[in-house]
Amino acid sequence: MTDAAVVVEELVKRFGTFTAVDRVSFEVRRGEVLGFLGPNGAGKSTIIRILCGLLRPTSGRVQVAGLDVTREPEAVRARIGYVSQRFSLYDDLTALENLRLFAGLYGVPRGARADRIRWAVETAGLAGRETALVGTLAGGWKQRLALGCAVLHRPPILFLDEPTSGVDPLSRRQFWELIHHLAAGGVTVFVSTHYLDEAEYCNRLALIDRGRLVALGTPAELRSTALGGTLLRVECAPLGAALAVLERTPDVLEAAVFGDALHVRVPDAAAALYTLPRALAAGGLRCTGIEPIAPTLEDVFVYLVGTAP
Amino acid sequence: MTWRRTTAIARKELLHVRRDPRSLLIALLLPIMQMLLLGYGATLDAKHLAVYAFDRDGSQTSQALLERFRASAYFDLVRTVDRYADLAAAVDAGRARLALVVPPDFSRRLRAGGTTTVQAIIDATDDNTANLATAYAEAVVDRFSEDLQLDWLRREGLPDRAAAPPISVEVRTWYNEDLESRNFIVPGVVALVMALVGALLSSLTIAREWERGTMEQLVSTPVTAREIMLGKLLPYFAIGLVDAALCVGVGIGWFGVPFRGTVGTLVVATALYLVVVLGIGFAISVAIPNQLGASSIAILVTLLPTNMLSGFAFPIDQMPAPIRAVSYVVWARYYLTILKAVFLKGSGLGTLAGPLGAMALYAAIVGTVATRAFRKTLD
Amino acid sequence: MVGRIVPLVVKELLQLRRDRYALVRLVVLVLVQLFMFGYAATFEVHRVATAVLDRDQSQESRELLSRFTASGRFEVTAVAGDVRELTRLVDTGQATVAVQIHPGFAARLRKGDTAPVQVIVDSTNSNTALVALGYVSRIVDAFAEDYATDRVARSAPARLRRIPRVVLAPRPWYNPSLESRWYFVPGVIGSLMLVITVNLTAFAVVREREIGTLEQIMVTPIRPVEFVLGKTLPSFLIGLGEMVLITLVGTLWFRVPFRGDPVVLLLGSSLFLTSTLGMGLLISTLCRTQQQAFASSFFVLMPAFVLSGFSFPIASMPPVLQWITYAIPLRYFLVVLRSTFLKGVGLRVLWPEMLAMAAIGVTMVAVSALRFRKSLE
Repeated sequence: MTDAAVVVEELVKRFGTFTAVDRVSFEVRRGEVLGFLGPNGAGKSTIIRILCGLLRPTSGRVQVAGLDVTREPEAVRARIGYVSQRFSLYDDLTALENLRLFAGLYGVPRGARADRIRWAVETAGLAGRETALVGTLAGGWKQRLALGCAVLHRPPILFLDEPTSGVDPLSRRQFWELIHHLAAGGVTVFVSTHYLDEAEYCNRLALIDRGRLVALGTPAELRSTALGGTLLRVECAPLGAALAVLERTPDVLEAAVFGDALHVRVPDAAAALYTLPRALAAGGLRCTGIEPIAPTLEDVFVYLVGTAP
Repeated sequence: MTWRRTTAIARKELLHVRRDPRSLLIALLLPIMQMLLLGYGATLDAKHLAVYAFDRDGSQTSQALLERFRASAYFDLVRTVDRYADLAAAVDAGRARLALVVPPDFSRRLRAGGTTTVQAIIDATDDNTANLATAYAEAVVDRFSEDLQLDWLRREGLPDRAAAPPISVEVRTWYNEDLESRNFIVPGVVALVMALVGALLSSLTIAREWERGTMEQLVSTPVTAREIMLGKLLPYFAIGLVDAALCVGVGIGWFGVPFRGTVGTLVVATALYLVVVLGIGFAISVAIPNQLGASSIAILVTLLPTNMLSGFAFPIDQMPAPIRAVSYVVWARYYLTILKAVFLKGSGLGTLAGPLGAMALYAAIVGTVATRAFRKTLD
Repeated sequence: MVGRIVPLVVKELLQLRRDRYALVRLVVLVLVQLFMFGYAATFEVHRVATAVLDRDQSQESRELLSRFTASGRFEVTAVAGDVRELTRLVDTGQATVAVQIHPGFAARLRKGDTAPVQVIVDSTNSNTALVALGYVSRIVDAFAEDYATDRVARSAPARLRRIPRVVLAPRPWYNPSLESRWYFVPGVIGSLMLVITVNLTAFAVVREREIGTLEQIMVTPIRPVEFVLGKTLPSFLIGLGEMVLITLVGTLWFRVPFRGDPVVLLLGSSLFLTSTLGMGLLISTLCRTQQQAFASSFFVLMPAFVLSGFSFPIASMPPVLQWITYAIPLRYFLVVLRSTFLKGVGLRVLWPEMLAMAAIGVTMVAVSALRFRKSLE
């Protein structure tokens, strides 16, 4: 129990008659990077904001850094950092001015301020541009700056709400390097994301759909979720027509387009290796490749949630 | 330019307004609220002025004089004091507007014959009320004096007409016969409310598009700048006319302001005024995307001149010459001339050709400037 | 606590410095309005366009008419030839006042009968009409008195010289030359402070909410009360700054006298500002976007402005409205302003107004702070 940085027990949040969070329970261990996945509107942001003390839960127990969030919100906030989905630093202030502001707000001891600010500037890659107005910076830099602002006070727990949405892939990778660097230093990171490739970087993943916790485990654990059947990769052009044929074929549990091929779920892989090409041929199409594959996170996602993230 | 595209945009705009409760509030509630507020609150007439009296004579005659003040509709004789210091303190503290000092030999001198003076200390902080208070007080004292003289003449056996003033003034007040300040302020409120509503609504419409990013969407279609502008402003034009009707209705029906002119003239003038007001609000919000900045500029350019230099409350012909010159540039001035003429004088299109022409010119200029400014931002 | 408020105040001031329109809003707009109120806002009547028609053409009639011009308040712009022309001049707005002396004026005067003088007044602006009529009666009375004195001296029985008369001697206090400017300029301080600080505070908070930075601030250990203070302190300082600016321009340029105690003015301003800041904060808790804040502040400020006694005297308003004005802080501040500038009185006289502003201010701030807390969730 003492190792848990975050404890959530039967968390419920209702907005009027709409239940945004429906009895979610989980724990985040100290030093781990927990990824939060889910479709839009699943409740990820709501949960994060409750954990940060920005929203009050309707019911349930939430403990962050050993403190009850509803009873001691200010003490909790002194021990966490938060980067929101919408960039929320001041566009009309410079990077340095933003950093100084948050250093003051977080009560970073005066002696340490200069060093930590310098560190934040360097980590964000803004060395030499500290005095530029933040509004003039590109998205990737802004987010790294926001992260810098959020950790000036060396919080043990970090909450990131889709921090890389709208950021280019290179910047995303650099951002995640930062996260790992922090995690290696013992910081617990709680990050919600849209991108499945980022999900692979996390220690554990939590899948949220319509306010409910649908799955929780390491990426490997999730990938080996019994999908009910075997996954086959079928190459056949044109994909649209092939999809239409396979969807009508009996014994096909599910078919979807994945890049330049189709992923098809079948109960019996051995039989399908014969029946599917024949079904396609009957439809006037030629199957150019068919093989069983290990499911990716995306497949698991689609299966569990029914839609792409 | 096609009308079909314009009406499509107009229809969309109307939907926005209908679905945004705050826009509706501004559009319908604000005018009525302002009319009622200003109609009742905006009055320059002096009534119930608090009067303190220091009667150092204490005779029947002095009491009779004070009774006149008590009975007057303009004054409220609040208190009589026995020390000058109390009187001064009351004026200082604002408890008395007017403080009468009756000299100790008041009745004695009157019996002996001759002129005696009653001092009236007036709180002249508010110079207008002070002017009016002085005029009213002098009138009360004059009447009292005349009655005294008549009495005296009768007792002396002299003819009444010896007391009659050599000259009498026959006053004819034209247009605002009951001399209620409301009668000239309320028509002006229509102009003020139009300016307010116009500025608010037209700035809302542009800001909304920029905010939501839908402006770029619009521009990527074959629609032209003029169509967008017309389409966006047409619904507000219609709303503005409805608002004007509401205001005029409240003015006439509720406040009883006379309306002696023709509705047609009023409609034409209001339409032109709306074009100007909406056009300017539009141009400002197009040129200045910063909301707080735009609203400050809007106030500076529209509401302030309408309030101060249009003849709404302050008479233009009493202002210093340079300011009077500036007022010729204020479009609201012409609208107000027309409003007051239509309400109180019953003037028609003929007499008002001048101001109407000026407004038409303004409308044309503003229309062109606004369109050009808009085109520029779209490029 | 101070440690968290200071960085916020610093941030606000930095942002203000970078705001391109801040200078316009805070200085240019203020000065323009001040000058407008100093020069354009006037209820004084000192040039009345007058038309005259003298159908008697006697020495007496000419003497009377010349008194109009001599008064300096009536500008005889036209001498009409007949009644129709006279009425046309008023109709077309070329004359506000038209004086007509009927034939036989002098004859009646000499006989001792009352001689009538007709005055037509365009009373569209009833206020100027009333004041102008006051001047007319004064001029006519003076002429009549001079004439009567002559007549009595020449012909009447000695007894008539002893006819009693009561005369009013007006003594205008504080503003002896009755300048509208002296009334408006101190008032402008209050009204501008009101508008600027309410808008500043309301917009400042709403903007943060709108762009999302409010959340980022709230996630720090800062307490709501510290945030509120951090936001309102800059507005408070700006409000005081405006007060000083306008006072300086008003006294040095417009030569409005300042007879009171600057400390009293400072105290009154501070108390007034607590209520305006509270109002701005309250508005910010009710609005999600800046547009709404703009519209809401208008809804609130317009009535506050009209009913405050700034241009329209409260005593002339219907009782219901007068009751409402007790809740408007500007009402009290205007009294403090005008009293400090023109009357020179101090706290002994003004303590009720100070108390009222303090009460309203504290209530406003408390209510809005509570609402603010709730709105964060």
